[in-house]
Amino acid sequence: MIFDLVKRSLRSPNVLLSAEDLVTANSRGSRMPTVEPARLTKAIAMRAVAVCSSSALEIEDAAGHLFLTLNYGDCIGCGHCIEVGERAFLAAEKLSCCGGSKQTLVRQWDVESGTELLSSEKEMDAAAKKIRALVGRALNIRQVDGGSCNGCEAEIAALTNPYYDLERFGIHFVASPKHADMLLVTGPITRNMEQAVKNTYEATPFPKLVVAVGACGCSGGIFAGSDAVVGGVGSVIPVDAFIPGCPPTPAMLLTGILRVLLREIPCGGANASTMGHCVTAERRHSEQD
Amino acid sequence: MTMNTTHRSTEGCVEDVRRLLGSNNARLVSIFGSVEENGENRAHYIVDVNREYHRVSLPVRGAIPSVVPAALAANWYERELHERFGVEIHGHPDLRPLVHHPRDYRFQEVKGVGVCEVPVGPVHAGIIEPGHFRFSVVGDTVLHLELRHFFTHKGTEKLFEGAPIMSGPVLAECVSGDNCFAHAVAYCQSVENAFDISVPPRGRALRLIGLELERLMAHIGDVGALCGDVGCAVPAAYTARIKEALLQASVRFLGTRFWRGVAVPGGVRRDVSTENAMELGKAVSQAAADFAEIAQIILDMPSLQNRFEKTGVVSRNIARDLAAVGPVARASGIKLDVRRDHPYGFYRKISVEVPTLRHGDVLARAQIRIEEARVSARLIQDTINELASGIVSVPVPSGGSAEGFSAVESPRGELLYWIRIRDGNVVRCHIKSPSFQNWPVLPFAMPGNIIADFPLINKSFNLSYSGCDR
Repeated sequence: MIFDLVKRSLRSPNVLLSAEDLVTANSRGSRMPTVEPARLTKAIAMRAVAVCSSSALEIEDAAGHLFLTLNYGDCIGCGHCIEVGERAFLAAEKLSCCGGSKQTLVRQWDVESGTELLSSEKEMDAAAKKIRALVGRALNIRQVDGGSCNGCEAEIAALTNPYYDLERFGIHFVASPKHADMLLVTGPITRNMEQAVKNTYEATPFPKLVVAVGACGCSGGIFAGSDAVVGGVGSVIPVDAFIPGCPPTPAMLLTGILRVLLREIPCGGANASTMGHCVTAERRHSEQD
Repeated sequence: MTMNTTHRSTEGCVEDVRRLLGSNNARLVSIFGSVEENGENRAHYIVDVNREYHRVSLPVRGAIPSVVPAALAANWYERELHERFGVEIHGHPDLRPLVHHPRDYRFQEVKGVGVCEVPVGPVHAGIIEPGHFRFSVVGDTVLHLELRHFFTHKGTEKLFEGAPIMSGPVLAECVSGDNCFAHAVAYCQSVENAFDISVPPRGRALRLIGLELERLMAHIGDVGALCGDVGCAVPAAYTARIKEALLQASVRFLGTRFWRGVAVPGGVRRDVSTENAMELGKAVSQAAADFAEIAQIILDMPSLQNRFEKTGVVSRNIARDLAAVGPVARASGIKLDVRRDHPYGFYRKISVEVPTLRHGDVLARAQIRIEEARVSARLIQDTINELASGIVSVPVPSGGSAEGFSAVESPRGELLYWIRIRDGNVVRCHIKSPSFQNWPVLPFAMPGNIIADFPLINKSFNLSYSGCDR
């Protein structure tokens, strides 16, 4: 019986994904799109914007120049743009758009010249190198569902499975906000959950981080505008970072969480702008104290 | 036709509904309201009599009599009807608000020497959804449990209104994230039913693979979570590994972990190569074999049997009176499965084995899931081995007005969508989720159990809060 179990587990394969694997293909299976600027034309861009389910794609005309904006915070990964995009829109293997401000969730391209205007790719590569340095640092996370569809919960729960094994990075899920350093908040905050989310935030001791997870957490997602919903997490409590996706894959969650940690830990290599976020976040917290 | 077609729609009165409910083998499926173009409210009742859906609809002018005396299962449906459509209902024992949370809400009180109340939630200790449980206990023993849900109410049915029919699946997938494919298929089938569209055989086969894969993953995950709840960490990690392997196989198969964005009215969005299908088949048979082996070890463990057996018993009578569906009903001796009783899509061509147990305890609900996982894996492999060729979808008219409904056996049980379409837009969508049906059963499983067993009993039901609250 119990010995059968032990015997069986000794025979089972090791499936742990290395930290590098997690970073290099973190959004595989999330259906989030990315743009291949060289193939982008005006016609394709217009078509993609027309079929977008959630207004994540927008096109604007500034002085004769067309700009395509992709906001991952709104994107629910319906995949419609990829279908009509003639390979100018592709399923993203790697998504680095997550982090401290909503601006990091936005990418923009000049449709004619095919150049990208905003990009946070470089930061991510730096983050990948730092991940190993984080092993051993403890972080306690309290997950709070502010009204999600449970898709995000399924993926967050998957973080503890033997493939991702969150605990190897010193990260634990705790049962009470009073034990937590970080609140991982999902869902569009519903009217019925608004007070509970605020109370949970209040119950979490300083210093604390709030990470909004999923399209709903970032922006209200597909439920934005419903009478029963207040909006994204940021409309109820202060948010320090955003992880987009509908739902984000466990690898996106893990890279997102680790990235948030980078800001908080003085590890020398972090660049000036990320440290800046850290200061603002801390200042805001201390003001509330 | 590809849907559950044995369906009768009649104009009637509440007396007709009561008569239907009084017949042999009758089960209340759903009650919902709609607002007509002339501003009149209508109430709709769906009753399953001898494996045939009957829908009775009636105009609401003034108060209507409650059907709760004829079917206890009508309780929550009528509360919602009263709350959302302002319908006065005579003879309903409890019309407190269900969906909205007024500050002066009064919980039921149990009075007596030594009776304490234990409030739990809405924010729980695990990575789960929000809901409130109010226990009345004496010592450790639970006397009474009252649920207070709808914390995740997002007005989803309302959001459907005005949406073009083709953008419905995106919303349906967000009703209950872990059963997203079942919701999307139920929605698509109701559109297809409304317009009398037949999905090509290959599209139907791919839908079956998706539906069964979702069930397989849900059941494997649930059994693992039950082990986790009694401190049996190794099998919990084991099943989590098997489930993750299937999720990753789905990514290789279709580029999506949870089959989101696959179903579309008329069929499925993407085709797959034979090679990929074979690879998925291999992953499924590997997972099924792994799971069967670990499941046998689990069931043989005395410490686990001790916790599972005779815990959270739902008697057959309770399950029948509250019209329980899905694994909860089947573990209490009610042979009920939409795939067998109202076959749709590819299930019309095959016979589905419906395992049934009679003890109604946590062990029975675990065993039912283990059995059903085996059946699902078999169905997936059979379908992959004889995968029909041809196109995977047909076009759906972009205009037109019609009504349709369709039921699907989701991993949690009977899931039903009823939609009304005007000029290519959805004007009303009712979602009967299995969780809405089964939540009221949970309080009956608690009395006499200790409060520490609640997480285990709750997990053995594994109901969706978001699916219930919508």
